[in-house]
Amino acid sequence: MGQHEPILLKNMSHPGYTGSLADYERTGGYQAVKKVMGKVSPAEVTQLVIKSGLRGRGGAGFPTGVKWGFLPKDYQGLRYLCCNADESEPGTFKDRQLIERDPHQILEGIVLACYAIAAETAYIYIRGEFVLGARILEKAIGEARRAGYIGKNILGTGVTVDIWVHRGAGAYICGEETALLESLEGKRGLPRVKPPFPATHGLYNKPTVVNNVETLANLPHIINRGPEWFAAIGSPPKSTGTRIFCVSGHVKRPGNYEVPMGITFRELIYEHAGGMRSEKPLKAFIPGGASAPFLTPDHLDVKMDFESVAAAGSMLGSGGVTVMEEGTSMVWAALRLMEFFYHESCGKCSPCREGSSWLVQTMRRIVNKRGRAQDLETLTDLCKNIAGRTVCAFGDAEVAPIMSTLKHWRPEYIALIHEAEAANLLRPQPVGARG
Amino acid sequence: MLRDKYQEEIDEILSRYPVRRSALIPLLYLAQREHGYITEASMTEIASLLKLTPPQVYETATFYTMLNLKQVGKFHIQVCKSLMCALVGSDTVVAWIKSKLGIGPGETTADGVFTLTLVECLAACGTGPMMQINDDYYECLTEDKFDRIVADLTATGSSALKSGPFMWPEPLAMKSERPIG
Amino acid sequence: MTASASPTIRLTIDGMEITVPKGTLVIEAARRVGVMIPHFCYHPKLKPDANCRMCLVEIEKMPKLQTSCSTIATDGMSVRTATSVVNDAHKSVLEFILANHPLDCPVCDQGGKCDLQDFSHEYTATGSRFLETKRIFQKEYFSPLIETQMNRCVQCLRCVRYCDEVMDVKALAPSGRGTMTEIKAFGSHPLDCEFCGGCVQICPVGAITSRLSMYEYRPWMLKRADTICQYCGDGCQITVQTKDNELVEVNSSYGAGRNNGDLCARGFFGFHATSRPDRLTKPLVRRNGVLVEATWEEALEYTAEQIARLKRLHGAQAFGGLMSSRCTNEDLYLFQKFMRVVIGTNNLDSSARYGHLNGVQAMRRIQGTHRWTVTFEDIVEADVLLLVGTSITETNPVTGLRVKEAVKKHMARLLTIELMQPGIDSISNITNLADHHVGVPTAQFGNALIGLLKAVMEGGHVAPSVQKESPDYVTALSQLLERLAWTELEAATGSSPDSFKQMAAAIAKSHRFIVLTGQDLLRSVGGYNACLQLLDLLLLTGKSTEPGCGFAPLAEENNDQGAVELGAVSELLPGALDLASSEARAKIGRAWNTDIPSTPGATLTDMIERARTGHLKAMFVIGENPVGTLPSHLGTREACQSLELLICQELFMTETAALAHVVFPAAAPLEKAGTWTNEEGHVQAIRPAVEPAGDSRPDWEILSALALLLGTPMEYNDSKDLLKEIRSVIPGYGLLGPSPTPQKVDRGAVDRYVSGGYRDDLSTRYTLAPRGPHPHGGDWSMHLTQSLFHSGKLSTRSKGLLEIESRDAIRMNRADGTRLALADGDRVRLSNSRGEMTTSVKLVERVPQGTVWFPDHFAQEATKLFDLTIDPATKVPAFRTTSVTITKIA
Ligand SMILES: Cc1cc2nc3c(=O)[nH]c(=O)nc-3n(C[C@H](O)[C@H](O)[C@H](O)COP(=O)(O)O)c2cc1C
Ligand code: SF4
Ligand code: FES
Repeated sequence: MGQHEPILLKNMSHPGYTGSLADYERTGGYQAVKKVMGKVSPAEVTQLVIKSGLRGRGGAGFPTGVKWGFLPKDYQGLRYLCCNADESEPGTFKDRQLIERDPHQILEGIVLACYAIAAETAYIYIRGEFVLGARILEKAIGEARRAGYIGKNILGTGVTVDIWVHRGAGAYICGEETALLESLEGKRGLPRVKPPFPATHGLYNKPTVVNNVETLANLPHIINRGPEWFAAIGSPPKSTGTRIFCVSGHVKRPGNYEVPMGITFRELIYEHAGGMRSEKPLKAFIPGGASAPFLTPDHLDVKMDFESVAAAGSMLGSGGVTVMEEGTSMVWAALRLMEFFYHESCGKCSPCREGSSWLVQTMRRIVNKRGRAQDLETLTDLCKNIAGRTVCAFGDAEVAPIMSTLKHWRPEYIALIHEAEAANLLRPQPVGARG
Repeated sequence: MLRDKYQEEIDEILSRYPVRRSALIPLLYLAQREHGYITEASMTEIASLLKLTPPQVYETATFYTMLNLKQVGKFHIQVCKSLMCALVGSDTVVAWIKSKLGIGPGETTADGVFTLTLVECLAACGTGPMMQINDDYYECLTEDKFDRIVADLTATGSSALKSGPFMWPEPLAMKSERPIG
Repeated sequence: MTASASPTIRLTIDGMEITVPKGTLVIEAARRVGVMIPHFCYHPKLKPDANCRMCLVEIEKMPKLQTSCSTIATDGMSVRTATSVVNDAHKSVLEFILANHPLDCPVCDQGGKCDLQDFSHEYTATGSRFLETKRIFQKEYFSPLIETQMNRCVQCLRCVRYCDEVMDVKALAPSGRGTMTEIKAFGSHPLDCEFCGGCVQICPVGAITSRLSMYEYRPWMLKRADTICQYCGDGCQITVQTKDNELVEVNSSYGAGRNNGDLCARGFFGFHATSRPDRLTKPLVRRNGVLVEATWEEALEYTAEQIARLKRLHGAQAFGGLMSSRCTNEDLYLFQKFMRVVIGTNNLDSSARYGHLNGVQAMRRIQGTHRWTVTFEDIVEADVLLLVGTSITETNPVTGLRVKEAVKKHMARLLTIELMQPGIDSISNITNLADHHVGVPTAQFGNALIGLLKAVMEGGHVAPSVQKESPDYVTALSQLLERLAWTELEAATGSSPDSFKQMAAAIAKSHRFIVLTGQDLLRSVGGYNACLQLLDLLLLTGKSTEPGCGFAPLAEENNDQGAVELGAVSELLPGALDLASSEARAKIGRAWNTDIPSTPGATLTDMIERARTGHLKAMFVIGENPVGTLPSHLGTREACQSLELLICQELFMTETAALAHVVFPAAAPLEKAGTWTNEEGHVQAIRPAVEPAGDSRPDWEILSALALLLGTPMEYNDSKDLLKEIRSVIPGYGLLGPSPTPQKVDRGAVDRYVSGGYRDDLSTRYTLAPRGPHPHGGDWSMHLTQSLFHSGKLSTRSKGLLEIESRDAIRMNRADGTRLALADGDRVRLSNSRGEMTTSVKLVERVPQGTVWFPDHFAQEATKLFDLTIDPATKVPAFRTTSVTITKIA
């Protein structure tokens, strides 16, 4: 394991590769489009993708071909594809690299997906801060359009696919697929109540597929090299292919590493990312972005595939692996993430909206040594009362840091509260405050 | 009026979407580019361009953190404060800024040149601490690098230290280009 | 399509089995078996948003709790609403909702009717666990009528959703996000909207309240009276709340009345119109040239003597009567009976003459009805709706909501031929929802209808059955239409043939097609002809007798329809029977035990003309103000001044009452009992909410007392007694059921029409009205139009509505404003060959360029600039258009 050739990062790893159309074509770019357009039926393309076992790289890990299959079969009207390039999950920075270094790989994936689902229009919803990425994509779209890979009557096959870049404007929740659609419609990014699902009522109420950048970037390779090839990589049958893991935190060599699914966290952290940055040993890590519960050194040998990480009590999520060394306060770390979630809660559901403000304030008190004995019970209750009771998965995500740190590092919370109580005893009581 | 100055660009934006309202965020960006922030007059104008009511424009504009409804400095420094950057020192970056520019989060220098805002994760967690100034990312910040960026910006309005197309870790062969560090 | 055919499903709720129509939400199914699931964001009028998460329930086979407000019940579903898991969930969600709530119930106007308060009692939430700082919003001024206290907001967004989904106004903006989401008006302006009060009514807590009734009361201190709004013909049910004989507030309830919980600004904020200090409270008699207070006995006796004297001297034909269509059916009935029996003349009229009669007479002629053949429910279910000259939002806002519902919820196609053009203003614009729109000025509606009919003919959209059964009628019409070239039509309407062709095609394809028309058409020159054309359209396309199809003229005054049905116009007897028919006269005469005078009566303008020329000596004017309403060049003032006896029954000292010899103080609608008939023909009871002001009395009592003094007693115990008599004269009238009884098209009448009745005036009907250059100089064409915030002149005495609109201001297109360098509120001079006046401007999008609109509620002075044309067939006086020069006053 571990000895592998990158798939998605391969081109860009070549010296001098600029991501231009010429460079991309030189490395076999747009061959997949040529291979299927007008030759293989859309339904067959979907079948190929199902066979490859490709699962979504955006976080939920839903089988991509199966998702496409949910679109109404006999529907005659417009359909849409949205490429989710919102990349806002803290700890995740892979889509940015795919976009800025090899945009055509994504565009080719989009054209293939559009072909499979018979969508004539695709929007790339890119987070607003990625100004450079948006420019690079726009330039690439221009090149591809001129070369006939995008637009009306692609390569003379009669197929139309138009691609537009749509910039978000600063809202994590717009990565959630239905919030993304609302935002793309020019509204506030509030997730929609499901059902109905985007597959039947998506963008402008039309059948729509939302796929992550990395998911789409895999498509040309699956078409070119066959689903069997792809299905053999990684940890088949359920976690096939490679994933780009984004390593951050207290390691020597943070960054993006594309590895087959199923290697262990130990291998990723100690071999690829060079191990811990100092002598301090690893204390904790987040295996799949801010929404994934924290894990401990005991979990270093867990295999990095969807099922194994879930069995360990967390999730592979968006592939963001954040490593923390001994000495890091886990309560403080949980607070930092809670502040993120508080800032990003869209405010639609009462438990998430009110819960996040409640949680963040309580956590701040504890970290600032003004905690109270009953706070831990309140925290636990609140977390339980938010999870599973909200419109979107944000509710489950926001409680993960607190729940998991409380589970693994409860004594740290207690110590802070004890400190607070001790300080309280020493603090002179203001006159009159007792009566 | 935006229409007088940007008719072509507005038409092009509108042509991307089958439903006009989708052009809302792009047009708000246009308004922000024009005035530095989104004025009430531009919201009213955009509403009429998109056949929306002004409150519909307003509610969307206030949802997104990148859309400013108030004037900000010429250079809008946005430092990521999320956990991943905090693990590698973003809090100290904020402290430098305070000592160098004399502004805390949410403040603008007296000359109106710099505004400091703390923001949540900007997807550069492996290259923290980091900040965004206007359209550009600056990553793997050090005190010295920060000083040079401020000096560049003050002198020329731009800085070569901004990030290019992102790749991290840097491929060996490309180290010389130093896109980030 | 029909309800019986719609499929049903069975489910169990807490073990109880229930069958509900497919598509029913779980929360609604539960309500049917008496289970109330707690909720905040759910409202039956709104699309589910499931944001509050309060209504969670357990559903078998679903791992997570589900929101019952967004889950559609399916066959075999088993729902539990009271398990410990569900109770826990309710408790915890409530705890979240209360976390940031200020719990300032003692000073909150919602106290006592607050969902949050109620649910908190039920779940005794442990709000005290929240030890953190509560969110605080900065207090902002919201609007002159609506108060916000955003700290209390539970962010259910019902207000915002109502404003968008039901009203189509979209005035409220949820701004910011997360806990700091705050409902705001746009930018730095106070809220500027339709002021329908919907947000106040739909807010489940005390975050949005009415400023008209702040800090005055607790719900349990109030007395309620369910009655009907006194303004337009939509006839909305309102609940008037009073405290110690003071009007406190008005509400409406979901599920009640024709309005189903919706109101407009007039209904919600206009209730103070009749509770002003300047109400007339004592009878007045003119002595030595001045009106002085008198007792009822003195005033009645004096009046009776004068009537008797003048009748002796000049005969019954020297008398005339005029009554407002805002009066009750009982008042109107007794009024016409008084005129016909006690006085002995048909010289009588009511405000239905101002336009409503145009629609009624057209229906009577072509389809033998005097009432709608459809209901509001049919409007909601229509698949194609044609609006012609309605300004529906301004004039009949709640019927407008039914149109919006049909379009927005049921995808009906909307065709509009209106004065206004699409454009977004602070109040909704029905033409924005149109699939096809043709904009024409007043008095050109007929031209546009000719275009539409021509497109029907040429598009082959005439129904085959009509073609077969009435070939002559079809041929005659098509020949006339053929003669008119499209180029001419295009010039006359400013619209391309295509718009008409598309409209015609949509109509032909429709199954449930309804034509609505309103004041802009009914009150303008050619209004009657245009109504005939609309009925021709229904006939030709084969829709007039189809279920769910029909012609629906909207009424401006609340009881215009009642006035017609009770015979309060010269040419009609009760039951809208023809006075000219001896059979009809005999029938009513039998009921009254007397002979009905057969001499045709003078109508409103005839009476004025006769008074002016000295032929009419006495007039009885009840609740009407012709001096203040009609263009001054008609000489109404002079006519009134030359009368030997002018009797007025009034609420206020109007321009007309000021000239009277006797003024009786009348009780206002909120002070009396009776019935009103809305435009659908639905008869609804009104109930007194407060005592009559001072010594004022209901109109019918005054008439009854005079009749007695004049030796022809007409005595009744109360208004119910009168209604009983009405029912004996018009069998079955006003059975006060929950919904109206629409009339059916009379086949006989249609046959008479198509077999020759159409011929008389066909060629004049199908000629293009001149689209003239401006008759009085000036290059602006000016129209009298309605404002949403007023109804007639009555509402201009309501303090709430005056907060929104207190004076005249012409509406002008924004681009025209820019061209003339005019800003909102600038003063201008209007002048033409008839005279001049000054006013201010208000810039909007909906007024076509080159045109200005004058709100008719403030038009006393402006009417002098307008032309007056009297319809030869219906005697409806039209004075809606003129031309002026506009100059800015520095
Ligand atoms: C709160 C929240 C934030 C999310 N953010 C992202 C994101 O930034 N990028 C992304 O690709 N998917 C994100 N997702 C997942 C999307 O909802 C969706 O599952 C994904 O785009 C589907 O694409 P895939 O099937 O290719 O993974 C987010 C989900 C949630 C609940
Ligand atoms: S869970 Fe949170 S983020 Fe998701 S819809 Fe509800 S309030 Fe918004
Ligand atoms: S009533 Fe169901 S979520 Fe609010």
